[in-house]
Amino acid sequence: MAVRPASRIYGSISRCSLRPSTNLARPFSTSRVVLASTQTPTGDRPTHFGYETVTESEKQQRVAGVFTSVAESYDKMNDLMSLGVHRLWKDHFVSSLNPGATTPIGQPQTILDVAGGTGDIAFRMQQHAQSYNSNPNVKIIVSDINPDMLAVGRQRSLALPATHQANLSFLEANAEVLPPKIEDNSLDLYTVSFGIRNFSNIPAALREAHRVLKPGGVFACLEFSKVDKYPLFNAFYKQWSFGAIPLIGQLVAGDRDSYQYLVESIERFPSQENFRDMIVDAGFEVAGKGYEDLTGGIAAIHRGIKPL
Amino acid sequence: MACPTSARAALRASIRPLQTVAASPSTSTSSSLYRRHYHSYDHPPPPGPFGATESAILAAAYKHVPEHGFTQTALTHGARDAGLPDISPSVLTNGPFTLIKYHLITQRQALAERSRQLFERDDAPAGVGGKVAALTWERLLANKDIIHRWQEALAVMAQPSYVPESIKELAALSDEIWFLAGDTAVDPSWYTKRATLSMVYTTTELFMTNDHSPDYVETGKFLTRRLDEVKSVGGALGNIGQWVGFTANAGINILRSKGVRI
Repeated sequence: MAVRPASRIYGSISRCSLRPSTNLARPFSTSRVVLASTQTPTGDRPTHFGYETVTESEKQQRVAGVFTSVAESYDKMNDLMSLGVHRLWKDHFVSSLNPGATTPIGQPQTILDVAGGTGDIAFRMQQHAQSYNSNPNVKIIVSDINPDMLAVGRQRSLALPATHQANLSFLEANAEVLPPKIEDNSLDLYTVSFGIRNFSNIPAALREAHRVLKPGGVFACLEFSKVDKYPLFNAFYKQWSFGAIPLIGQLVAGDRDSYQYLVESIERFPSQENFRDMIVDAGFEVAGKGYEDLTGGIAAIHRGIKPL
Repeated sequence: MACPTSARAALRASIRPLQTVAASPSTSTSSSLYRRHYHSYDHPPPPGPFGATESAILAAAYKHVPEHGFTQTALTHGARDAGLPDISPSVLTNGPFTLIKYHLITQRQALAERSRQLFERDDAPAGVGGKVAALTWERLLANKDIIHRWQEALAVMAQPSYVPESIKELAALSDEIWFLAGDTAVDPSWYTKRATLSMVYTTTELFMTNDHSPDYVETGKFLTRRLDEVKSVGGALGNIGQWVGFTANAGINILRSKGVRI
C-alpha cells in the first residue's frame, strides 16, 4: 500500500526529533487532505499527544499518521499486546449491550460505532443481533476519521454473510463534528471502543454523542483505564506496557513510535471516575457507579443514558 | 453497614421516625459517594444507589418480574413502560442482577416504614428478640409476589462475580433488622448477632421458595424453630462459657492454696 513508505518517513523523523513539527512531509498520505476539510472549531487549542503537548488539529493529523501506519498490522498487534484478551473484552462489551434485543422481536435499531474502522465491534454487534436476538433490522454505521482503517474494515466485511453486510455502512467522519447525515435524536446506541483516547477534544465528542442519541439512547465506551486499585498488578502492567509493547511494535509492525504513542496515550487518559464525570457533564446519566472494570481496570466500560 | 460505635451515637440521639427512601431521589452520581456507614436519626438518608432514569426502568421492570422473572425480558418490558427505547436497559452494568439488587434494596429500605407501623400497635412484640423475629417475618413476606422466581434469582446471585455484592446486601439487611429492633450492643455480640440472623434469614428464605402452604404458615414455623435454636444454642454456649470460666478460676485458686505461685 502507498501509505507504508509515508509512515516510515514519519516514523524516522519523529524518532530523531520528538518535538512536534507541523510541516512534517507526508506526501503519500491521504488523511491530511481529508482532515483539512473537517477542521474542528477548537483546532488551535493545546491538547496531549502522548506525553507531548500539541494543538488539537495537529493531534488529529498525528493520530491519523499513527493509525495509517498501524492499520494493516492492527489486529496482529492487538493480539500480541493484550495476549488475546482484547477479544474477550470486546465480546463482553457487545453481549452486555445486547444490541437487537427488542419486544416484540425484530424492531429496528440504529447503532453508530465510532472509531470502529476495522469493524471489530460492529461485526460482533451484527452477529449478536442476528444470531442471538434474531433481529435482522439492526443498522450499524461504522464511522472512523481514518480512511485507511475504514478500508481495512470494508475489506474484512466482504467475508461476512450477505445479511450482515446489508446492515453495515461505512462513514468517514470526525466524531467531534458528525456530518448532518446523522441527525439529532436518531440513534439507539453509540459505541466507541479503544478510540476516544485519541480524540483531540473528548468533551466535544461526548456532546456530539449526546446530540445524536435518542432520549433513552445509550452511550457505551470501551477504553483502556487505570489499574490503581491493585498496586502490585499495576507495577507489572506498567512494566509490560512501557517495556514490552513498544518493542513488540518495533519487531512485528516495524513501527516503535506509534506504539510508544499508544502506551503514553493510555497513561494520559483520565481515570474511571474522572471519565465518568466527563460523561455526566455532557448531559448523560449513569447507572450505579457508571463504569465496569475489565481485567482489574486495564480496560473499563463506561455507559451513559440520555435522559428523557 | 453500621459499626458498633454508631449504635452508641444512636442511643444519645433523640428518637425520630426514619424516612423511607424506597423511591429514592434522583442523582446520577456514584452510589459510593453517598454511602453512609452508620445509621443516623439526625440526618436524612443518603439518596439511593439508583439514578433517576435507572430507577424508572427498574421500577417499571420490577412489575414484570412475577411474569418474566429477573431477566432481560422484564427489563425490556420495563423500559417500554417507562417510555424508553428497548436499548435503554443496556446502560445497566449487570442487567438482571441490577434488577435483583433493586428488589433487595427497596425491600430493605421499606422495612423502616413497616417497623414503625408494626411497633406503634398495642400488640407490638416486646423485647429486641420479638422485634427481630417480627421484622424478619415482614421481610420474608415482602418476597411473596416474586417467590416463584426467587430460585432463579438466587442462582444469579451465586455467580462468583456477584457473590460479594450479594453478601454485602445480606449483611446490610441483618444490620437493618437489628438496628430497627432497637439493638444497641457494642460488644463482640454485634458480630455474632448479625452472622446468626443472616444464616437464619437465608435458610428460611430458601425454605420459603418451596413452601406451598397457605400464607406461608410452614415458613413461619420454620423461622420460629430456627430462631429458638439460635436462642438455645446461644444460651448453651453461654452456659458452657460460664462453666469453663468458673472451673478454671476454681482450679487456679486450688493450685494457689497449695502454694503454687500463679
